[in-house]
This record gives sequence, C-alpha cells and structure tokens, in this order.
Amino acid sequence: MTTPNEPMRMLAPSTFRQTLSRRALFQMGGAAAGLAILASACGNDDEGTDTPAAGGTDTTAGGGGSDLLSQYSNVINKSSGQLAMFTWGDYNDPEIIGALAESTLGVTMKVDFYPSNEDLITKLSSSGGASGFDIVVPTGPYIPQMVEKGLLQKFNKDLLPNIVNVDPYYLGRDWDPGNDYSVCKNWGSTGWIYDKTKITKPITTWQEFMDASAGEASGRCSWLDAGPNVCAPYFWANGINWTTEKAEDLDACEEYLVGNIAQHIKAFDSYPSSALAEGAYDLSMAWNGDARQAYFRIADAGGNPDNWVWGLGAPATEIWMDTYCVPTGAPNVEGAHAWINWLLTPEISIKDLNYHGYHSGMKQIDKLITELSPDLLRADMIFFTDDQVKTMETGAVNSAQDRLIEIYDKIRAKAAG
Amino acid sequence: MTAAVQAPTKHRRRGPKWGLAIPSFLWYAMFFVAPIAVIVVYSFGAKDSSKLVPVDLSSPSFDNYGTVFSETFFKVFRGTLQIAVTATALCLLIGFPVSYFLAFKVSDRWRAILLGLVIVPSFASFLMRTVAWRIPLSANGEFSQWLQTWLIDQPLNILGTRTAVFLAIVYNYIGFMVLPMFVALDRIEPSLREASKDLGGTRLSTFASVTVPLAGPGVVAGVLLTFIPMCGDYITATVLGGADGFMVGSLIDSQFRGSQNWPQGSAMAVLMIGMVLLSLAVFAGAVWLGRKALLVARPLVDSWRRNRAEALVAHRALREPVQPKVRKRDGVHWALAVWTSLVLIFLFTPILLMVRHSFNDAPSFPVWSGRYSTVWYGGEPGRTQSGQPMTGLFEFSEMGPMLLWFAGIIAIGIVLPRLVAAVRGKRSALLTKWSFPAAFVVAIIVNGVTTDWYRSIFMNAGVGDSIRGSFIAAFGATVMAVVLGGLCGVALARHPGTWSKVMMALLFLILVTPEIMDAIALAGWFKRIGGPFQSDFLGVVPFEMLRLWVGQSLYASAVVTLIVRARLAGIDESLEEAAGDLGAPPRRAFRQITLPLISSALIAGGLLSFTLCLDNTIISTQISGASSTFPVALISATKSEIKPFWAVGALLLFAVTLAMLAFLANVLRKSGDSSSQIAATLTGS
Repeated sequence: MTTPNEPMRMLAPSTFRQTLSRRALFQMGGAAAGLAILASACGNDDEGTDTPAAGGTDTTAGGGGSDLLSQYSNVINKSSGQLAMFTWGDYNDPEIIGALAESTLGVTMKVDFYPSNEDLITKLSSSGGASGFDIVVPTGPYIPQMVEKGLLQKFNKDLLPNIVNVDPYYLGRDWDPGNDYSVCKNWGSTGWIYDKTKITKPITTWQEFMDASAGEASGRCSWLDAGPNVCAPYFWANGINWTTEKAEDLDACEEYLVGNIAQHIKAFDSYPSSALAEGAYDLSMAWNGDARQAYFRIADAGGNPDNWVWGLGAPATEIWMDTYCVPTGAPNVEGAHAWINWLLTPEISIKDLNYHGYHSGMKQIDKLITELSPDLLRADMIFFTDDQVKTMETGAVNSAQDRLIEIYDKIRAKAAG
Repeated sequence: MTAAVQAPTKHRRRGPKWGLAIPSFLWYAMFFVAPIAVIVVYSFGAKDSSKLVPVDLSSPSFDNYGTVFSETFFKVFRGTLQIAVTATALCLLIGFPVSYFLAFKVSDRWRAILLGLVIVPSFASFLMRTVAWRIPLSANGEFSQWLQTWLIDQPLNILGTRTAVFLAIVYNYIGFMVLPMFVALDRIEPSLREASKDLGGTRLSTFASVTVPLAGPGVVAGVLLTFIPMCGDYITATVLGGADGFMVGSLIDSQFRGSQNWPQGSAMAVLMIGMVLLSLAVFAGAVWLGRKALLVARPLVDSWRRNRAEALVAHRALREPVQPKVRKRDGVHWALAVWTSLVLIFLFTPILLMVRHSFNDAPSFPVWSGRYSTVWYGGEPGRTQSGQPMTGLFEFSEMGPMLLWFAGIIAIGIVLPRLVAAVRGKRSALLTKWSFPAAFVVAIIVNGVTTDWYRSIFMNAGVGDSIRGSFIAAFGATVMAVVLGGLCGVALARHPGTWSKVMMALLFLILVTPEIMDAIALAGWFKRIGGPFQSDFLGVVPFEMLRLWVGQSLYASAVVTLIVRARLAGIDESLEEAAGDLGAPPRRAFRQITLPLISSALIAGGLLSFTLCLDNTIISTQISGASSTFPVALISATKSEIKPFWAVGALLLFAVTLAMLAFLANVLRKSGDSSSQIAATLTGS
C-alpha cells in the first residue's frame, strides 16, 4: 500500500471545539456572501429549507465556509425522469435519494438494496444488460470482474466535473486506474465493538478478538456475514495478507477457525448495530460505520453506550471502498451522471456522511467537517490516523474466493451445531 | 303440445380428452421441466466465472457430486432435516388440539370466527411477522425486563438459539397444519363418534379408534404442507436463529450467489430434491407399514374390544338404559379452549407488536424507543404541540379537543342521513351508504393526525414502489394461475385418464421442489431463452414483471388446479351432461354450467395464490430486476437495518389483503358455503 498523497488528519473532538469558536467569528461577517454562493450553486432554489446546507447544519454555517467551499467544484446538472439505484442497505441519507434529489436535480429516485457484491453481480448478469438500474455501488475489487463480464459502462467524464473534489488518494486504484468506470462513494474499515462489563479482558488485536469469541463471549458474539471477512481475522492475526491464495494458508485458516472458533459464534451479522442494542451480542465484528451507529442505537434503547468499546482491527485490517458505477444498459445514463456528480459536491457529500458515518473521500475532509458538520459525533470512528490507514489492506477477488466461501460454509455448518 | 321437438344435436368432444390441460402442460414443460433439466445438466459442468452463465460444459463429469458428497453438505442437510422433522412434530402437537376444538367443541358461529382468526395472521408478510418476534425476545426488551423482575435473573437469551429457530418455523407454518386437519376432522360424521359412544366406548377410546384414524388424511396433508416448504426455507430460520438457523437452502444459495459456482450449486440442489423425495418415501413407507401392522393386529384388537364392549354393555344393562349424552362443557372443553386461546395469542403477538412499532420514534424497527412518532399539526415527531415528549400514542391533554372534534364530525355523519330522511320523508341510499365513511375521512383530515413513518413511506420511493410492484406481480401471477389452474382442474376432474396421472405427478413435483431450486433454475432459464424475458415485450410489458408473473404462477397454478379439481370432483357430472343432451355445444356448457360451478373454487384459489405470490420471496429474489417486490426489498433490509417504515408497508399490504379476504368470505357465504366449506375450499379438499 502506498502512502497517502495527501496526509490525513485525525479529527479529535478537541479540534472541533477550536474550530467551533472560529466558526462563530466567521458567522458574523460572511453569512450574506455565503448564502449568495449557495443560492447560485443550487440553481433556482426558493425553498430555504431544502437547500443542501440546511440538512444537518444551520444555513449560516455556509457563510463561514465560503472561502473553503469556493475551492471546490460545485457544478449541479439538472436532469429529469426516474433514476433507479441498486445499493447497500441504508447507505444514503433518505433526503438525498428522495425529496432533495427531486427538488435539486429534477429526478425521482427508486432504490433497491442488495446484501453482497455477489448478489449485485448475479442480478446484473442474470438480466444481461437490462437490469433497469442506472447506478450501482460495487466494492472496488469486484470491478474488474464486472467490467470483464460487460456489466459496467464507461463514465462520460464531461458530466462528472466534480470528480476533482475527490482526494487523489482515493482515485486511480488498482481495480480502475483511470476511474473510467467508478468513483469512490465511501470507504471504511473493520474492527470490533464489545461490552466491557461482560468482557473484562481488553481486546486490542485480532488474536485477542478470536480468543474472546471463544472465551468470555462464547455464544454471545457475531462475526460479519461474508466468506472473506470471516476468514480474514485469522490471516491478520498471523501476519498473512488476507488476499493470500496459498493453499497452506487457507488450510491453516480452516483448521483454526472451524476447529476452535466456529462453535462459539452466535450469528453472522454484517450490520449488528440493532442487535447490539437489543442485547443480542456482547462482542461483534463490525464495519466502522455500523459500529458507530451501534453507539446511537444502544443509547436509543436505553442502554449505556459508555460500556461499549470500539477497536479498529490490529495489527492489520481491511480497507474497503464502495464506488458509484453506471451499469450497462442503464435507462437514464445522463441522470445517473448528474446524480453522482451532485454527490461529489462537498455539502451533499458531508450531508450523506453525516447520515451513515463513512468517509466519503472528499479532499480536505477535516476542514469540510468543521465547516459543515461540526457536531459530528464519534468522528474517531470515521476518520483514521495515517498510522491506522497504513495497516489497512485492500481486499481482492482472486482464485481463493471459492475456497474462502467453502471455509465459511464449513464454519457456518459447525456454528449451527 | 306436439311431439315435434327437434332431436338435439349431440355434440361430440373433439380433440384429445386432455385438451383443457394443454396450456398447463406447455406451461410446466416450458417453465418447470426444462429449467430444472438444465440445472441437472449444469451439475455435470465446471465453473467458468468469465461467462455470464458461469458454467463450462465442455468436459462433463461427476466431480461436483464427488465434492458435494462431503461432510459439510450432509451435516447441514442432517441439521435441516432434524429441524424440519421436529418443527413438523411440534406443529402437529400444538395444532391438533386447536383443530379438534374448532371441529367438535364450538358452535358454528364461533367456528367461523376462530377459523378466521387462525387464518388471518398468515396474510401478513411472513418476513415482517418473523422479524417482529425479535421485539419480545430481545435481551434488553420490555418483556425480558418484566420477566427479570419476576421469574429470571438473567436477560432473555433466546435470539440466536435453536429455540428461536423452532419458534420462527412453528410460528410460520402452524396455520398450514391446523387448516387441513380441521377440514378432515370436520368431515367426520358425528354419527360415527356417537355410535362409538353408544357402543360403550369411552371418550379416550372414541378418540383413539374413531377420530384419529379418520383424521389421518388431514394429518398427512398437514405434514406435507409444512415439512416440504420447511426443508427448502432458509430465510425464516436465520431471521431469529442466527448461526443456528443455517439450513441447506443457505448452502445452495451461497454456491450460486456467493462463489458463483453454479455447477456445484446445481449438484447440491439435485441431491437435495432427491433427499427430500427420499424422506417423503420413508414417511410414506412408515404410514404404509403402520397401516399393515394395524391390519395384522386388527382381529386381535377387535376380539378384545368386542369382549370388553359386551361386558360393558351387559354391565350397563344391569343398571339403567344409556341416556343419549348431552354435550357438556367440562374440563377437557375448557382445557382445549385455553390452549386455542394461547395459540391465537401466539399467532397475533407479532402483528400487534408490528402495529405498535410502526409508530416507533427510532431508526430501528425492533428497538423500542419508548416514544411514538405521532405528529400533530405544528408539532415535531414524538412531541406534543407544546414540545413535550410523548409517552403514549395519544396524550390525553392534547387529545381532549381533538376527541371532541372527532366525535362531533362522526356524529354528524351518523345523524345526517336520518335528518335528511326525516325532512324529505324518504331515505337517500347514497347518503346512508357514504356519510359515515366520509365523516371518518373528514375527521381524520380535520384533526390532522398522521405519523412520521406513515407519512414517510410515501416519500420513500423504494418502499412505495416495492409495494406497488408486489401487487402488480401478484395480480398478474394470480390471473395466470387461475386461468391455467381452472382449465387444468376441470380437465382432471372431468376427463381423467392416463394423462391425469402424469399431470398429478407433475403437480406433486412442483409442490415438493424446494423453492430455491426453482428460483435458480428459472433465473438461468430466463437468461437462456431471452426474448420477452430479457427486454420489454413490444416495449409495453416490463420483462422483470413478466419474469415475476411466470415465476410466481408455477406454485400458485398448481394450488389452484388442485382446489378446482377437488371442488368439481364433489359435484355430479350429470348437470353438464344434461346441458350436452339438451344441445349445448361444449363451449357453452362450460361457460354456463361448469364455470358457475367452479367459481367459488376459482375465487378461493385466486385469493390463496394472490397471498402466496405477495409473500413469495425466494423465487422473486433470484429472478427479479429493478422492480422488486416488497419481500425482496425487505429481505435485503433484514440484512442491514429494518426501519419502522417497513412495518408500515407490511401493515398496508396486510390491510389490502384482509379487505380482499373479507370480500372472498362474503362471496363464498353468499354462494351458501359455511365456514367449514370455505376452509375446505381453501385447502383444496
């Protein structure tokens, strides 16, 4: 993994406090100018409540952001008709796929969900280029396979001028070096969240996570619901890259996980946040955004979020990046571009981030956050330090895929008793 | 009257006897036999993920079967079988007393009501009902906390265990067990049971030697209706059972979708259907053996019984003549009543919770926030107009004026027609009919009570569209099922022959094939044949919809066929013959005689298939494209977070389905059917 072109900054709550006061100063002067810019950026938007900046923040915040926001491309192309998106569950702010898309872009959205990349591929290929979807959101490593099968079409880059807002670090990845087919939607990582009143031994590494799963959290832990992710903790704990294709690595993984861990797993759950709030698990392997949601859900359900500890996977962990793509045969290609381009404007990108809690890959995202969403909670679970990012490994879809799913099925068979 | 009546032309049937069944034969050949045959062929191929259909058939081999005959497959299959057998037994044990109570212990009026109550929950989205069980079972939930103050010292730990798996499955399938058993019990001539009692049989011996044997067919039907779908169902168990709910269907699904290994998935599917058939054969064998054993033992038992009965009769004759027994409400009656009530509570709990949680002012459906998302004009969700958090669905202080308004407007709606009648001296039919509902609507609008999730469902294009998609898909599939099933059912009942054995075998296969296998076979098949299944037909019929119609119509049409056949088999053919003798051409006889005879069966079958289609998940998930249906959208939501608006969607679907059910019951009752007959029609017996 290469070092980031532009260093990331960790956004601790203390940072926010500083910028808050700075923001208060800005508010005095620039409010009027900021509003004017916003108004021009949003076209003829006469409903004050519907301007993008009004979503998670107060409109006056735009005033302070005028300097910063003017450094971004803010092109909004109007479009029309219906737009069908096929994406992961609960992965966009409802307003962005609802009323706001209609008032800003003039498109009506229709959204379907899939639980795994394989589902997406199966559905796209079983309709042979006539799935009816305009936008899909595959994870990076699956893109070459989808291009090979002819499931994706090339972007018309003229319609995506806002792509310059994306941090170059998140562009030009191995799976699509020229960003001809895909652009970063969000990225995230994997770790664990546990109840420290039930699990007394702190968990700091994947080995400790697996030990706890088989120990204090036996019968009370959930792991992610996908073959490669279930096998990965073993590889990360043992210094093996999780994209390994070596037979002996895979065999050892099977032996360890089926033999020592499987029978202790209560559920395979990729979105454990609600179940954590229900009190179903004491320990969960989770993606950072969902683990962050868990804190809010637990509080919602009357629990004490302070009892719960989040940890980013260590010594190594994953980095996944979901991307916006346009499938072959999309009925509304132009609308799809308009929408994706709109999502690459800073206000909308941050509004969306505010909803689901995943890093959107915007450049200078820390500054954007302090301007547009200073009240963001648990920012440490969205933004990671350079050191943390260095430990994150990109996944791959390779010859080990079938074997990983075979191991996963064996683990599930064992877990079922 | 002169005798110059023209001799009626005898119309002879042209073409083969099974003419009416031709559409069904073609349909099943095209969309059931051929796709499944392709799957069987795939199972000899190898994976090639570069192709759209990732199968390489250049060097066929048995390798996949070798791989599948692995420990994992059999372990999972054994687990599935264990769960299915236990759950079927549980359904039988829990359901039999209910069927018995309904058939023998209640008045006709109560029978209709209770039967309705047993059936009604099955018409709400099965997935949402199952998810709703998470509410009382969750460790941090109110129920768990309540139990902790009285009974237990640890939070409930049921979710994600075997208990939860059984609960989910029994909950979803018990209706399919109760109904056919009820029909069988209800058909028992009361005189048989009375005769047994008159002959000195005790309550227990009457039950054991008269009631149970006569209920046999119903029990067998119930077992088949529950056991087979259970084997293929891999959704219900995982929603509550977590890792413990890993069924063989999941394993197959993960081959097809997870690793895109179609050949191996096909081999698994072929093995699975083989093993399901094998288990059925074992079951049939056991039944056959049991009957044989009974035959062998009968002379012995009979002679013993005769001796005992003679002794009893002699004993009684000494005392006093036997009085005809008056049915009295004794302990058994009450025990059965309590049991039935418990089962009904069991069936309705999740639906009631679903209603409450559709108002949940929290992002997650099962996690109750303690606040209702009721919105008042000028208020915020979950808050009263004065900004206080709302702890009840309605705050009484806020409600006072509103209640008055509400009652007032409705009172006007009631009084107005009478007032008009008094003034004009004549009743206005229009006003009588509509003033009350209109007042209700006006009262709601005036008071402006709405709730967040109910409002947002119409903004959430995905959910709204999926509900619409569900209705369009179910409607189209039902039309197909009724046409195909109606014609084929008539042919089966009226023109049986060798062909009907073939057709019955085909129908049986369609009913027993696990849905996951149909689903995968069809998904590949549609791609292979292309045409209207690949691109919109004439630009009018969306191809995804056509796929859904065809896919959902398979099972539904088989059900309609059996219902129509059963209905017609009970009616004398002489009516149609008379029509023929009087000179009606076959087409006219069909239209004027047969069609009215089977209309109630067509309506019942149509409604049943409509609800089956609305709930269809596995096939629809695999074959549908952009226009997915409600359960398809919901199943992906269950893998992330279920928002309360899903409950709203499920309740809207439920409401519409119930309205249709009421309509059907009304039509059937007008045609003179009792509740028992309606139930019999629904189960096709």
